[in-house]
Amino acid sequence: MLVITCPVCGVEGEEADFHCGGEGHIARPATENPDGISDDAQRDYMFMRKNPKGVHFERWRCDRGCGKWFHACRDTVSMQIFGYYGITQRPPAALLKKADPLWQAHFEAAKKPSAKKAKS
Amino acid sequence: MSEALIITPLYDREAPGGLAIIMTEVVDLGMIDLRGLPKDKKFMDAAKAALGIALPTAPRTSAGMGDIVCLWMSPDQWLITCPRKAVGGLLAKLNASLEGIFSLAVDMSDARTIIRLEGDRVRETLMKGSSIDFTQSGYEAGTVRRMLFGEIAAMVHVVSEKPDVFHLMVFRSYAHHAWDWIEATAMKGSEVEFLSSAEAPPVV
Amino acid sequence: MSNKPYRVPTAGTGGTVGRVIDRSQMIDFQWNGRKYAGYEGDTLASALFANGIRVVGRSFKYHRPRGVLGFGSNEPNALVGVGSGNRQEPNLRATQVELHAGLTASAQNAWPSVEFDVGQVNSLASRLFPSGFYYKTFMWPQSFWKSVYEPIIRRAAGLGVAPEGPDPDTYEQFNCHCDVLVVGGGAAGLAAAEAASANGARVIIADENPQFGGISDIAGGTIGGEAQSKWIAATAASLAKSGNVHVMNRTTVVGHYHHNYVMMFERVAEHDPNLLSSGAPRHRLWKVRAKQVIIASGAIERPIPFANNDRPGVMLSTSVRAHLARYGVTPGYRGVVFTNNDDAYRTATDLLAAGVPVGRIIDVRAEPSGPLIEAAKSAGIEISAGSAICGLNAKSGGKHITSVKMAPYSTSGRVSGAEEEIACDFVAVSGGWNPVVHLHCHNGGKLDFDQKLQSFVPKPHADPVVTIGAANGTFGLGDLMTEAYAAGDKAGKAATGSKAAKAAAPKAASETEGNLEAIWFAPATGKYNEGNKHFIDYQNDVTAADLELAQREGYESVEHTKRYTTLGMATDQGKTSNIIGLGVLSGSTGKPIPEIGTTTFRPPYTPFSFGSIAGTQVGKLFHVVRRTALFDWHAEAGATWEPIGDWRRAYCYPKGEEDKHAAINREILTVRNKVGLLDASTLGKIEIKGPDAGALLDRVYTNKFSTLKPGRGRYGLMMNEMGFLFDDGVTVCLGENHYLMHTTSGGAERIVEWLEEWLQTEWTDMKVFVTAVTEQWSQYGVAGPKARALLEKLEGDVDFGADALSFMGMTEGTLAGTRVRVFRISFSGELSYEIAVPSHNGRAFWEKLLEAGEEFGVEPYGTEALHVLRAEKGFIAIGDETDGTVTPLDLGLNWAVSKKKADYLGKRALDLPHLAAENRKELVGLLTEDPNEVLPDGAYAVSEVSEKLPMDMIGQVTSTYWSPTLNRSIAMALVKQGRAKMGQKITFPVADGKVVRAEIVDPVFYDKEGERQNV
Repeated sequence: MLVITCPVCGVEGEEADFHCGGEGHIARPATENPDGISDDAQRDYMFMRKNPKGVHFERWRCDRGCGKWFHACRDTVSMQIFGYYGITQRPPAALLKKADPLWQAHFEAAKKPSAKKAKS
Repeated sequence: MSEALIITPLYDREAPGGLAIIMTEVVDLGMIDLRGLPKDKKFMDAAKAALGIALPTAPRTSAGMGDIVCLWMSPDQWLITCPRKAVGGLLAKLNASLEGIFSLAVDMSDARTIIRLEGDRVRETLMKGSSIDFTQSGYEAGTVRRMLFGEIAAMVHVVSEKPDVFHLMVFRSYAHHAWDWIEATAMKGSEVEFLSSAEAPPVV
Repeated sequence: MSNKPYRVPTAGTGGTVGRVIDRSQMIDFQWNGRKYAGYEGDTLASALFANGIRVVGRSFKYHRPRGVLGFGSNEPNALVGVGSGNRQEPNLRATQVELHAGLTASAQNAWPSVEFDVGQVNSLASRLFPSGFYYKTFMWPQSFWKSVYEPIIRRAAGLGVAPEGPDPDTYEQFNCHCDVLVVGGGAAGLAAAEAASANGARVIIADENPQFGGISDIAGGTIGGEAQSKWIAATAASLAKSGNVHVMNRTTVVGHYHHNYVMMFERVAEHDPNLLSSGAPRHRLWKVRAKQVIIASGAIERPIPFANNDRPGVMLSTSVRAHLARYGVTPGYRGVVFTNNDDAYRTATDLLAAGVPVGRIIDVRAEPSGPLIEAAKSAGIEISAGSAICGLNAKSGGKHITSVKMAPYSTSGRVSGAEEEIACDFVAVSGGWNPVVHLHCHNGGKLDFDQKLQSFVPKPHADPVVTIGAANGTFGLGDLMTEAYAAGDKAGKAATGSKAAKAAAPKAASETEGNLEAIWFAPATGKYNEGNKHFIDYQNDVTAADLELAQREGYESVEHTKRYTTLGMATDQGKTSNIIGLGVLSGSTGKPIPEIGTTTFRPPYTPFSFGSIAGTQVGKLFHVVRRTALFDWHAEAGATWEPIGDWRRAYCYPKGEEDKHAAINREILTVRNKVGLLDASTLGKIEIKGPDAGALLDRVYTNKFSTLKPGRGRYGLMMNEMGFLFDDGVTVCLGENHYLMHTTSGGAERIVEWLEEWLQTEWTDMKVFVTAVTEQWSQYGVAGPKARALLEKLEGDVDFGADALSFMGMTEGTLAGTRVRVFRISFSGELSYEIAVPSHNGRAFWEKLLEAGEEFGVEPYGTEALHVLRAEKGFIAIGDETDGTVTPLDLGLNWAVSKKKADYLGKRALDLPHLAAENRKELVGLLTEDPNEVLPDGAYAVSEVSEKLPMDMIGQVTSTYWSPTLNRSIAMALVKQGRAKMGQKITFPVADGKVVRAEIVDPVFYDKEGERQNV
């Protein structure tokens, strides 16, 4: 049983008061462009997950509190939680540095010019 | 519009003897669920104009005195309590004031019930059904907290302290469950006096 | 046989004997059906000793007589059943059961009696019970399992007797947070708690015993220049009084989990019938979140296995000393002490001081020296250094020790040479100390092997947990107090951020003790297998020979050996046996202990009651029951119930002598011919409002909603992103950008969360608010040809005319004095309305509907009639026709799946090859050849019935009912390419070799043109 702090309402609560929504930062291809999504791209979106052993970025919801979604950075082995950030935000650089290389590659691939600037 | 008889979910329940706290169902309060964006000044102003008080924006707080109390539920959601008879009028006023503003106000007077708990052992009684430690700082009068209580979704509002008065709000369908739970955990003889000065324990 | 009492008189001991008993308070209790007396403060174990009873149970496998070995929670032998009838509780440790008036207890695992046990033949046949006995014996033939092996195992397995009926006592749970949780109320724990508390921290200190102090009363040493116990009493009292420390006795910390989640088991009133009858729960389970945890759980003494070391009267040295000091009892009249360390010398001198002769101190070490040895010598106790016990003689079937045999011991582990026999009737044995590292290990803590202790000590933990004192291998009182104060202060500051000056640790000191000598096993001289057993795990009857056999058979990993021999797998989880077992394995494999490693320590530390785990959730609180406003009305009307989620819905309303089937058929025909009323309040209701409300609906439903006009409704389907159908319902437009969505009863919470999730995480620019209003409204279906006539009788401003309120229309107004929302929707195919009223008016309005409908023969109908009515019309139900792998296209709902909309949830998935494939199962209707045959729900259709399994399955029944309307059975099924098979017959092999044949038909069985709902 983890202790989780909701970054939205500040509630510190038991894991049972929250709901884990699995891996974060999965882009829904159809939202951007509903046409021309290949079967492979759709399959990856639906089923393929990083599932790292170590530091991971997950979606959580303050289920019994304010009802808002947020991101948490959690070590899947030690269960330590390193930090939280908004549901529409990217992981802060300090957390990304801790994360599994799979994650660094993920954001490297998705990096936009604006994100580059923010990195310094 | 003439309203028929008001039957609250716990109308036929009475607290049994031997409880360490006082428990009653609040029947004369109505509730309005209001949603809107706090960063939308038009919304905040319109809500204030209708309610007479500014909506609280700090998490887990409440605002208001007397008849109308606004409880913070979420960054974009409040529960407004007022006398049950006044709900219709207040809702109409709110809707008129919020006309054209991105918002949603609905009458929820019958969706939940409020159980009023009073006494020195209210906090510890609630701690038998919830993972929240109400004896910690942060649960002063005015505090609002949503939680899992006795396996169900619930919300508490610390109405006043010394003696402690808490409003426990649960959805209507769960009212009997919540009531039964408190009956079972608030019996005299089962009190926990957490972190109170106590007699010395026996030693070897 | 008369038992001689073993209570030592106080006279002449200067009050050092029997400190916790009150000799002026006699207490009667029952043991094995006979009456005995003990004193206030006694445990069951000490009271039995006082009455001369040493045999308290029979062992699990060999049924050997067993007595008390340890004290407190480390006791492996003396498991007893306490109470009787529905208060019977099995497997309690007699050393923890506190004596109280009216206590009844009995021995376990013994038949017909603990003194004479038939099962002891197991012991004579012990060569038939080698390690891995079960694996080796109950292997074949397979046909023996059910008839022969299982009954034998069932009779032999299990300890104790279950209670006869529901537990009459109450149990509860309590949740709290603290800054510092200290486990253990000995000197180290109290010192740490004091130092933490000095920082203003909220502290909990818990000890599993009735008394605080650990073993401070028998450990020697001074704190602040005075006997330890004086400081213990003063500190415990000042902490209890402080108001920021919760001091708990009789509370075992049973588990430590992630993020310092700690479970504590408090025996609130078990020991005191008066407390129990005044409303206190018997047990309370504490769930604590601690910012910092300090483990000061002490150490457990380990025995040295020797031949027949399980005879009643062989006890741990500290157990002998504690029983003497606390309760004034001894296990016999003349003792022998067998040790590899200095501490056991204290036992010898204490016994002698209390007037109990000590025949010998047998020390395996060649040259023991130090103040404790000197003290024993000067008291006149004979010491045999460099020796070990090599045999034990007993009479009365092993129940009474008469002497031990001793021989020279060499460091190679051999015991040989001249033997000497020493008369005694009890043996105090000490083989060193094992720090209690269980809690440290529960949540991933690692261990180091300490050469000096010859045991494991904790390594630093990843969580804010620290272990101190004897649990950390720190035994000298001076070092222990320094360590405890430092840990308490550090934890207090870390949790509170306090800058308070560190409280000074009082000066403490204890006698210097020499090193122990590692010894895991003192073998009997001669052939030690011949009738001599060297027990390691007393509770599971695992011997040194068992471990050696397992090792010879190739069990190299300690985890495998553990499971093969059952070492450490009993209820005591190997408290006294694990390290010795590792030592024996080390000896037989030649590997050092750290290389062998330890097995996993799992919660709980000691067993605790199921009652406390269930807590408040028994009886009517066992499971949440959700009630609609009509709950009482349904009950009064004699409804039978159907659980839907946590809701209780009326299943049907049998009248008089009617059975359920008759009632359901009557209700269906009432709706078809007259008018019926349904409590549909559990349907999910969500208000959706905002500039993008229509756009949101378009994205979550498969069909278009943004074109809906105010006052109109539409039936919609929801898919998940995999393309699978998971909810349906009618959404109506209340006004501009304002909708009311209906969901299934089961989906009410899920769907509002679903909408929120997409709005918060994906379509973050959409301006829409959604609020669940399910319980605000009670909603009633009024269905049947007379529905309109009934509603028109009610006073109000709602126009029910066919044109004013056409099919799929909605309106708001007043009816029978109540604000209402009226929806003209139909799940039965009849002329039908759903009326929503504020729930406080629910029952009153329902009764008005009944009153108004009386002249039309109105009757309520339940969920089963609802289902038959919808199945007759071929309407699907989520959860019946869907199972999470079914698309709307599989169900033939293509008309509701938009091809034009660019994007909605699940749309892209429908084009994936596996969903677009031709061999999908499709929804069809079924008519059985025999119209009276109702197919079983879920029955499988096969392409061909054959003897050989498995048959080729081509589909399954999703809904199946008796239709009173059609006077025959009907069913719906998902069948591979079913729509192409119209008119064909398929076969369903059902139970007992029977085969049912049915024709594939259109799933709409009744009123195919839909005329009845459009009147």
